[in-house]
Formats: sequence, C-alpha cells, structure tokens
Amino acid sequence: MTEDSQRNFRSVYYEKVGFRGVEEKKSLEILLKDDRLDIEKLCTFSQRFPLPSMYRALVWKVLLGILPPHHESHAQVMMYRKEQYCDVLHALEVVRFVSDATPQVEVYLRMYQLESGKLPRSPSFPLEPEDEVFLAIAKAVEEMVEDSVDCYWIIRSFVNQLNNKYRESLPQLPKAFEQYLNLEDSRLLSHLKTCSALSRLPYDLWFKRCFAGCLPESSLQRVWDKVVSGSCKILVFVAVEILLTFKIKVMALNSAEKITKFLENIPQDSSDAIVSKAIDLWHKHCGTPVHSA
Amino acid sequence: MAQQANIGELLSMLDSPLLSVRDDVTAVFKENLSSDRGPMLVNTLVDYYLETNSQPVLHILTTLQEPHDKHLLDKMNECMGRAASRLPALSLLGHVIRLQPPWKHKLSQAPLLPSLLKCLKMDTDVIVLTTGVLVLITMLPMIPQSGKQHLHDFFDIFGRLSSWCLKKPGHVTEIYLVHLHASVYALFHRLYGMYPCNFVSFLRSHYSMKENLDTFEEVVRPMMEHVRIHPELVTGSKDHELDPRRWKRLETHDVVIECAKISLDPAEASYEDGDSVSPQVSARFPHRAADVAASPYVDTQNSCGSATSTPYSSSRLMLLNMPGQPPQTLSPPATRLLTEPPQAALWSPSTVCGMTTPPTSPGNVPPELSHPYSKVFGTTGGKGTPLGTPATSPPPAPLCHSDDYVPISLRPATATPPKKEEKTDSARPCLHRQHHLPNDRGLEELPGSKGSVTLSDLPGFLGDLASEEDSIEKAKEEAAISKELSEITTAETEPLVPRGGFDSPFYQDNLPGCPRKNHSATSGAQGASVNPEPLNSSLDKLGPDTPKQAFTPIDPPCGGTAESPAGHRERQTSLETSILTPSPCKIPPQRGVGFGSGQPPPYDHLFEVALPKTAHHFVSKKTKELLKKAKGNAEEDYPPSTSPAEVLDRLVQQGADAHSKELSKLSLPSKSVDWTHFGDEIRALRNQLLLLHNQLLYERFKRQQHALRNRRLLRKAVKAAALEEHNAAMKDQLKLQEKDIQIWKVSVQKEQARCSWLREQRDAMVAQLHSQIRQLQHDREEFYNQSQELQTKLEDCRNMIAELRLELKKANSKVCHTELLLSQVSQKLSNSESVQQQMEFLNRQLLVLGEVNELYLEQLQSKHSDTTKEVEMMKAACRKELEKNRSHVLQQNQRLDTSQKRILELESHLAKKDHLLLEQKKYLEDVKVQARGQLQAAESRYEAQKRITQVFELEILDLYGRLEKDGLLKKLEEEKAEAAEAAEERLACCKDGCPDSVTGHNEESSGYNGETKPPRPGGGSASRGGGGGSGGGELSTPEKPPSQRAGLFSSRWETAMGGSATSIPTTVGSLPSSKSFLGMKARELFRNKSESQCDEDGVTISSLSETLKTELGRDPGAEAKTPLNPDGPHPSPPNLDSVGQLHIMDYNETHHEHSEG
Repeated sequence: MTEDSQRNFRSVYYEKVGFRGVEEKKSLEILLKDDRLDIEKLCTFSQRFPLPSMYRALVWKVLLGILPPHHESHAQVMMYRKEQYCDVLHALEVVRFVSDATPQVEVYLRMYQLESGKLPRSPSFPLEPEDEVFLAIAKAVEEMVEDSVDCYWIIRSFVNQLNNKYRESLPQLPKAFEQYLNLEDSRLLSHLKTCSALSRLPYDLWFKRCFAGCLPESSLQRVWDKVVSGSCKILVFVAVEILLTFKIKVMALNSAEKITKFLENIPQDSSDAIVSKAIDLWHKHCGTPVHSA
Repeated sequence: MAQQANIGELLSMLDSPLLSVRDDVTAVFKENLSSDRGPMLVNTLVDYYLETNSQPVLHILTTLQEPHDKHLLDKMNECMGRAASRLPALSLLGHVIRLQPPWKHKLSQAPLLPSLLKCLKMDTDVIVLTTGVLVLITMLPMIPQSGKQHLHDFFDIFGRLSSWCLKKPGHVTEIYLVHLHASVYALFHRLYGMYPCNFVSFLRSHYSMKENLDTFEEVVRPMMEHVRIHPELVTGSKDHELDPRRWKRLETHDVVIECAKISLDPAEASYEDGDSVSPQVSARFPHRAADVAASPYVDTQNSCGSATSTPYSSSRLMLLNMPGQPPQTLSPPATRLLTEPPQAALWSPSTVCGMTTPPTSPGNVPPELSHPYSKVFGTTGGKGTPLGTPATSPPPAPLCHSDDYVPISLRPATATPPKKEEKTDSARPCLHRQHHLPNDRGLEELPGSKGSVTLSDLPGFLGDLASEEDSIEKAKEEAAISKELSEITTAETEPLVPRGGFDSPFYQDNLPGCPRKNHSATSGAQGASVNPEPLNSSLDKLGPDTPKQAFTPIDPPCGGTAESPAGHRERQTSLETSILTPSPCKIPPQRGVGFGSGQPPPYDHLFEVALPKTAHHFVSKKTKELLKKAKGNAEEDYPPSTSPAEVLDRLVQQGADAHSKELSKLSLPSKSVDWTHFGDEIRALRNQLLLLHNQLLYERFKRQQHALRNRRLLRKAVKAAALEEHNAAMKDQLKLQEKDIQIWKVSVQKEQARCSWLREQRDAMVAQLHSQIRQLQHDREEFYNQSQELQTKLEDCRNMIAELRLELKKANSKVCHTELLLSQVSQKLSNSESVQQQMEFLNRQLLVLGEVNELYLEQLQSKHSDTTKEVEMMKAACRKELEKNRSHVLQQNQRLDTSQKRILELESHLAKKDHLLLEQKKYLEDVKVQARGQLQAAESRYEAQKRITQVFELEILDLYGRLEKDGLLKKLEEEKAEAAEAAEERLACCKDGCPDSVTGHNEESSGYNGETKPPRPGGGSASRGGGGGSGGGELSTPEKPPSQRAGLFSSRWETAMGGSATSIPTTVGSLPSSKSFLGMKARELFRNKSESQCDEDGVTISSLSETLKTELGRDPGAEAKTPLNPDGPHPSPPNLDSVGQLHIMDYNETHHEHSEG
C-alpha cells in the first residue's frame, strides 16, 4: 500500500478507466531498484503485465537464474557467464565442431550439447527431436536478444526450465487444451473430434517449442514472459485462442491433415490480437495473479 | 351428265301441279343440297329459275343453307355480269335477301355487292336500276358496317339516279321515272337515316357544283322536306356513324326503324318518338288510365282480365280469354261474340299480336312467374269479372296456346262476317282461308300466292327469330327490361303503333283489325276527349279530316269489295280517310302488283280484293285520284309536299283505275284481241308491274322488319306485365303477412300480459320464500347461538373439571408430603431421643473432667515459680538474634535490587545482541545467497570446463587412437615379416607391444602424465587441490588411484583398447603359446623375486581390472575385457607367467620395488 501511494495515487484509477501499462514501467523500475531483487514479485509482475521490452532481457535473466538477485554480483556473474560462453565456444572450435561458417543457432545447440554432455561424436550425426526444439527456440530467442552471450544463456536456461520445471506439466497441456476449448466453443471441439484432428493438432509446435516458429517474435515474447515467469498454462490459452480466431477456416476444413497443416502455418498478421486475447482468456480462467503474492 | 339430266327432270317436275309431287321434289332437292357441297346444283337451280321464274325453285334458293351461299352469290354475281340475266338475278337477289338468310353478313364481303354497285352506276335500264336500288336499300340495314367501304359508291349512285330523275335520258318513259324517283326517295331516306353526317357532307359537296344545282332544286330538296334533322348530325360525326360498334347493337329492323324515325313522310314515318307519337300515346293513355283505375292488377293484355269500363276493353278481354280457355270453353265466348258483334269486330290487332308474339316460347317466361300469375288470375276471377275462365292456368299456357287458338278464336269471328260483310260473300271464304293459314303453316296451301309463301315461311322465320331472340334478344331484353318497365306506358303504346301499322307478318290476320285499331284509337281519344288536338298535331295538314276517319271504322270491310258498285258509295265517304291514312294506302297497290307480276293464281285477285284493308286502299286511291281530278288546282298546293312515293301511289292508282276501266270496257274475247295490238303497251305495263312488284316487295320487307320489332317490344311489354303481376302478388302477400303480423302482435301482447302475470306470481312466491328463508335463517342463527353458549358452558365445565383434578392432585401430593414429613418427624424424634441420652452421658463426663482439672490446677500452682529467669534470658537472646537477622535481610534486599537492575541491563543487551545476530544472520544469508549465486555461476563454469576437458580428452584420445592404430599396423607388418625369427625377437616384440597395450599405465604413465599435465592442472587442481605434484607417486601406486581418475582414464582406456583391440589379442594370444617353453625357463630364473611381486601385481591388476570393468561395462569396446578378465579374477599360471615376464622385461622393476618399500 505504501509503495503504491508512493508511486502515483492515480495509478489505481488508470486501470479502472482502462489504461494498462501506464504505471507498469514505473512499478517495474521500482521493483528492479531493490537490492536483492524479489523474484516472487518479479514473477507476479511478469505474469500480470506485459514487460517493457527494455527490461525484458534483464527480467528474464533474473527469472531464469542467469543473474543472481544481488546487483553487486551481477557484473561478476555476468563475467563468469561470458567466460564460460567463450570457453565452450573455444573448445568447440578446437574440436572443430563449429567454425566461423556455422550458423549461430547451431553454435548454440553445440554449446548446449557440450555443456549437457550430449555432444555427438561427429557434427554430421543426425539431430535428435529435442535438438530441433532447441533450434526453434534458439531461433526465436536470437531474434529477441541481441547479445550472443545473453542469448545463449537465455536459450539454455529456458530450455532447461522446460526440461526440468515443466517436465511434468507439459504432457498435461493437451488435455487442458481440450477442456478449455470445450468451455469456449464446444462446437469447434466436436468438429475437430469428428475430423479426428484433435489428437493430431501440432502439440509439439505449441507446447514443446512454446510456439517458437509459429508466432512472430514480437508476440511470442509476450507469451514467453508468462512462461519464463512460471506459468506454462498460457500456452494452452494461446492455442485455444488460435483455434477460436481461425474458427471459420478450421470449420471449413474437413480433414485432419488440412487442419494440422493450416495450424502449423497460421497467418501472422493477427498474432498480436491472438496473444492479447489469449492472455485475457488466461486471466479469465486462471484468475489474475495477485500483485504482491 | 345423268345426274344433270336427272336434275333437269326433277326441275321440270317441280312445276307440276300436283302438290305431293312438288313437295317430294323439293325434299329431294333439299336433301341433295344438304349432302352435296358443290356449286353445280345451285348453279343449275339458279339457271333454271332465271329461265322459268319458277316459284318452287325460288323457294329452294331462298332457303339455301350455309355452305351454298357462296355458290349462290357467285352465280348471281356471274349473272349480274350479263345484261340479259341482270334483272332476274337482281330480283332473285332481292328475294333472297328479303328473307334475311343467316349468312346475310357475308353479303358485304361477297363480290356481288361491288358488282351490284357497279351495275347501279353503269346501267341505263330504269327497271334494272329501280330493282337494284330497292335491293340495295333492303340490303343496307343488313350490312351497315360495310358502308365504310362502299359509302361513296352509295352516294354516287344516289347522285347519279337523282340526276336521272331530272334529266330523263331520252328513251326512258315517265312512268318508269316515277318508280325510279320513288326508289331514289327511299334510298335518300335510308342513306340519310343511316349515315347522316357523311350523307349531308356528300350532298353539300355534290350539289355545290353548278351542274348539279338543278338536280338539287328539283329532286333532292323536295326529298329533304320529308325528313327531320337527324340527331346524329348534332351528336355524331362522320367516323362515329361508320363505327362498327354503333351498328353492332342494332338489328336489321332496328336500323329500318331508325331510318323511319327521321322521316316526316307519313308513309314512311315511324311514330315511336315521343313528339310524333304523343298524340297516339295520349290517345292510348286514357285506356290505360281507365284500365289501371279499374283494377290494380292489370297489365298490358292482362288488363283485359279486369272488369273494364269500356266496351272496347271488355271485348278485348273476351278475346283474350279465349286463348286462355281450353277448347271446349270456346263456345261461350263465341256465342258472346255472336251476340255482341260489334265487340267481336273490335278485337284489336294488339290482342292478336300479343297472342302470336314469339314470347310464346316457354323459355321466355320464367317459370316462377307462373304462380303469381295464377294467383292474379285467381283474384281477378274472384272479383267476378265476366271472364269465367279457369284462372288456374299459368300465363305461359295462354301464350303458348295462343298460336293455336288464334285461328280458333277467329273461327267464331268468321261466323260474324255475315253481319259485318254481308255484301262481300266472296270475301268470306277468303277470310276463312286466311284464318286457317296460321293454323296450317307447315302446308303450302297457297303455292301460287306470295302472301301464302311468306306466310308459310313464317313459322320457320318465327322459329329462327325465336331462337335468335332467345339467345340474343333475351340478353338484350333482360338488360333493357328495367328501362322498359320504367317506360311501361310508352312501351305499351309501342306495340300498338306498329300494330296500327300495316306490316305485321300477320298482315292478313290483322287486316280486319286495322280499322278497328283506328277506331279504338279514336274512340279512346273520344273517351279521353283529347284526341283532336294530338291527331291534328301529328297529321297537321289533314287534321280536320280526323273526325271523319274516326267515324268510318266499319267502312273498310264494307268497302272491301272494290269492284262492287257499293264500294263507290263508301269511296265517297272515305275519300278523305284514305288520303288521311297513307300508311295502308301504299301497300295494297304493291301487293296487287306483286301478285300480278307473277303468275297470279285465279283466286289471287279475289284474295287481294277480299282483304278489306286492301280494298279500302284501292278505294282510297281511286277516290284520291278522283279528288285530284275534281279539285284540280287544289292539288297544286301539294306538289312541294308530295313525296315521290305519293306520286308513285297516284300513278299506281291511275294505272289501276285505267286497268279496271279497261277491264270493264273490254269483254274477255275482245280483250285477248286487243292484247296483241298493244304488245308494246303490254310490255311497258309488264315492266311497270315488275317495278311495282319490286316496290311492293321492298315495302313488305320493311313491314317484316317492323313486325319483328313489334314482337320484341310486345314481349317486353308482356314481361313488364308479368313483373307487375308479380309485384301485385307480392303486395298481396305482403298484406297477408302484415295481417299475420298484426295477429302475432296481438298474441304477443296477450302472451306478454300472461307473462307479466306469471312473473308477478312468481315474484310473490319468491318474496314469500324469501321471508321463510329469512325466518329459518334467523332460527338457525338462534340455534347456533344457543349451541355456542352450550359449548362455552361445556368448555367451562371442562375447565372446572381440570381445575378440580389439579386440586385433587395437589391434595394428594400434600397428603403424601405430610406423610413423608410425618415419617421424618418420627425419625427426628427418635434421633433427638438418642442425642438426649448422649448429652446426658457427656454431661456426666464433663463433670468428671472438671474435677480432674481442678486437681491439675492445684498441682501447677505449686510448681510455677522456678522457670521465669531462664525464660527471660532466652527472650533476650531471641531478640538479638532477630535484629541480626533483620539487618541481614535488609542487606539481602539491596543486593537483590542491584542484581535485578543488572539483569535488566543484561536482558536489553541480550535483545540487542539477538537483533544484531538476526541482522547478521540475514546479512549472512544474503551474502550466502550472493555467494551461492556466484558460486553457482562458478560451478556452472566449472561444469562447463569439465565438459570441455572431457571433450578435449575425447578428442585427444581419439587422435591418439588413430596414431597408435597407424603405428600398430606398421609393426604388425614388420612382425609378419619377422615371424620366422627367434623367440628373443618375439619377446622383444612382446616388450614393445605389451607396454603399449596392457601395462602401459604402469611404466609409461609417468610419461603420459608429463605430457597430459599441462592441460590437466586446471581441472585437477580445482578438484583435488594440491594433489597435482604427486602425479608420479600417484601413478606409481596402483592401489591408490581414485575412481575418479580411473573414470578419467577410462575413456582413454576405451579408445586405446578399442583401437588396439583388433591387434592385441593376436599378440596376447600368441604370447602364451610362445611362452610355453620360454616361460618355464623364465619362471625358474625369476621365481624367488617375482613371487611376491606377482601377488602384488595380481592384486593391483585385479583391482584395476575391476574398476575398469565397471567402466567398460558400458563401453562398446567390450572386447578389451576378454584379454583382461583372464588376468583379473583368475590369476592363472600363464598370466602369472606373463606378469613375471613383464617384470622380467621391465627394467624399472627395481625402482618399483623401491618405491613400494
């Protein structure tokens, strides 16, 4: 309360009138000013509001544990990270796994493989499916973050989070998707069922890759804000919203192949709206996270 | 041809005198015509007719049916082309069209019409022209709409012929011109009547030319004096009068009457219009008024049924009754007629017409009308009218029968002539005959006579008319009937007017009635005393003569005998009359001529004469002529007003006069002689006759048209009458119903009275019952109240009972309580008794103890004085001690206070310290977290480094593997080359190979370590600290190596073993075999030394192999086990040998042992 009154006494009304994000940047700055950053608060904030892009990388790094909560150690830790990055990169160069010509995304992949001890014997070995996921995510993050060290670390941490934190919940998402789609539009669901397309929807694309490659990065980062801050359920709502948005086209299609094909290549122009609606939907169904939980 | 001949025969047979033969032949012809559609038969017939002028053929031709009309017209057209046959063809055409065949509308399209017109324009023969003009005039009303095409032809013909009348081309005789003039006059009337606007414009244009001016002055202008202004000239236009729609509404006879209406010529004029008719209407009206006054039920001819005030109407009534009566009832009226001859003679044409009108067809009269009619008759009968007819017969019946009864009614009438026409005996049979005629219509009793022919055709014609009228006229009539009814008075007069005229088809029948009509008109006029003026107005010039006419009704029959001298007497009297009544005056001459033209049958002449009307006209004409002669100049006043028709009349009169004179002069034989002398004259006379015949036929045609119209109008009148009767009947019914209503009203009033009485009674009853009910209710309430009271009482009683019960309970409980108390009291009593006993016992003890006490007191007083000093000392000591203790306590208290303060201070310190500690802890935690963060980063770095080193090592091993592989391959090649060499060489070979392969780590690991150290320190120092320096010792003591190290090396091992696996087994395998005898010697040599060494080595090797085994278990290069396993778990002799061998071979063995030691 005291914090709020310090910020701006009008802030309460902005939201009532419908302005969003007016005070968000300011409140985020206040949050970031704390020494020993409060990770919980940052999580809540990130779930509740869209992150300003200038702070996004910082917040992500903090949330993903790349940076410690203390400002003091930031520089040192970041130096470590950078050295590690350089070492690994150097090692890869030494063993001739990467060269200057290797695409950056693959470099990231090799680095990740090396660090997780899964480096294949030869760079020419075929890629595993999880490597494909990594590549997709890496490609998306590469668009979002400029610095390659940050980029690598964010990718690495993000993928690790997916593999560790969400290991249990990711397989449940298709069921949740079906449930929420039934709530929102049971007709569409029944259509999908009659087409037997329900089981063949691009769940890998949606949930394993977190829509990397499906949505443009500008929209995707808003989704990932939520994912990074610890809620993978948002993915379900994005998927539901995609179906609702393209309901007419999907209803027009009758075969599972066509539906899957269409959903894998949805038009990009309405993605911002989709994400906004999906977030609203998420808030509607799962409730707005309490500000200072 | 045979057929042709046959036809010729038949034709000749047609003229046979035998009636039956003639009928048969006619029937044959008709049959042929109906079966044959070709033109041949018609042509033949026409030819034959033109040749012989045969009447039967004419009859056949005039009744030709539809498909043959074209042939007939074509044939006639063809004949018209030839000058010789033109006249007969024209006359045939005249005959045909006068009968108005059903195909008459085709005439306008037929080529005959143009050729007729052409003929009229070109021909110069007056007879042909006159005949043609008459035919044209006859034809015009039938084809009015065709006027459009030929209008100018008509006008041209008129122009030509009118100029002819004046210019008189040389060879034309005056007499003919009179005829021509008359026909032109008729044409003028027709054209003016039908196409006034066009005609007037034609006249204007035609006679504006100078050369025609004379003609106009002389011919046309007098004609114009005989016509009124045509209304169409005002309202119509040239186009309008040619409009087919205008003509569609009009029947042929309508057109004729239309034309007659505009004529001022008394001979032509029709008096239908209000102004011209008014005198007669007014003349008639009094009758109507009288009739109406006499009985309200009367209408038209039914009015006769009423009791009439005038003898005239009564006579009518009687005649009327006759048709309604069954035949057997005929006699009384007949006798009445006999007894009242004047009245019998008074039977008016109207009645006859009424009876013979086409409405006789039952279909015309709605059947529902019959009953009202019968009712009407019933009422009239009840009134006691003279007619004793069974009034129940419906009106259609009399109408139906009328045709049959007319002759019957006439038969009694024929009985009267003896009285009427005593002088004319010859007339009687004639009359008789004629009265029979309608009866025997189907038969041709008068084959020769035209009149008979027309009469015989009449039924057919009537049939046509009936059927036509049934279809067309009826529709028209029904539409017009309301209008007609509104004009009922005039409508009623209408039938009378044509009747007064002369051209009804029942001309012969009517003839006797005609004068009657006049008489009735005049008598009616007298009765009304209005007639002189109207009559004067209608016949203005001849006004003064009307009274005379009025007084000569009976004359015509008397004067019917024209040839008898008696006629002359009458002639004198009826001189003026005949002039005054021009309408009949025209016909008789024509008729006469007409009969004369053909082959007049012997009795025909008599027949003509016998007709009273005709005779009368003959007489009148003659008198007129005489008058003319007598008056001389007097007649000069007339010319401007005399019409060409009058001129013609006079001419005919003159001719007839001359003829009769001639006849009377000449005896029959001499006459025949004279005929030859006067051939030319005869021809002229013949022609004249022909012309007259034509004229006559034309007039007859006109008459027929009038008759048609009469019938139609009469039927309307009959219908109107029927409706009026119906109205009357309805009124009667209405009255009856009103009476009923009255009765019902009275009964309703009665019923109402009864009803009110009943209602009152009921009200009284109801009131009584109400009072009873009220009383009963009151009673009931009282009872109710009583019961309430009783109930309350009951309640009270119950309460009381309850209370009493309660009291009872209380009493009971009280009793119980008291009993309990009693028992308690008794117990207490017993207790108190026992206590008293105790007390007594205790009192005794007290007494005893008191005594004892006194005893002890005495003892004490004796001992007390010794102990007081000691006590005081003790007290002092105690006091001192107490003070001491008190001070001590004070001290203690002070100490306590200070210590408490101290405690408080310490506690605050402690709290501060705790807080500090907490902060410290927090900070520590913070720092810890911070450090952990950093540490994590560092650890991750370390992990990464570890991974990196692994990768590097992997890489290096890989590379080494490759190198060694290459080296081994080379050595193998060498080995193979020296395979045949000695055992030493083999051993040497083993010494080279084995250190590399199996025991490389023992000896050359130092070398390795040295090599691999540069990259390792980072990783090794990080994990193990300062263990880096003792690499050699570490490696030299195989028992020590940590699993980690083994793990580190394992990969190297793997690669090394994997790489050498293929080559080593062969060398290893070859060793024991080669050792077999070499080993024996070596064992002997080094046994003592190698005994312990061997054991140790076995242990180290086994331990090594065991660690390796765990690592190698996962590795693909599991083959490495096979060479190692035999060494490890089972230290078999060959292995020992090999180890021994190794040690033997190893130059550093001593160094090993030293280090161990």
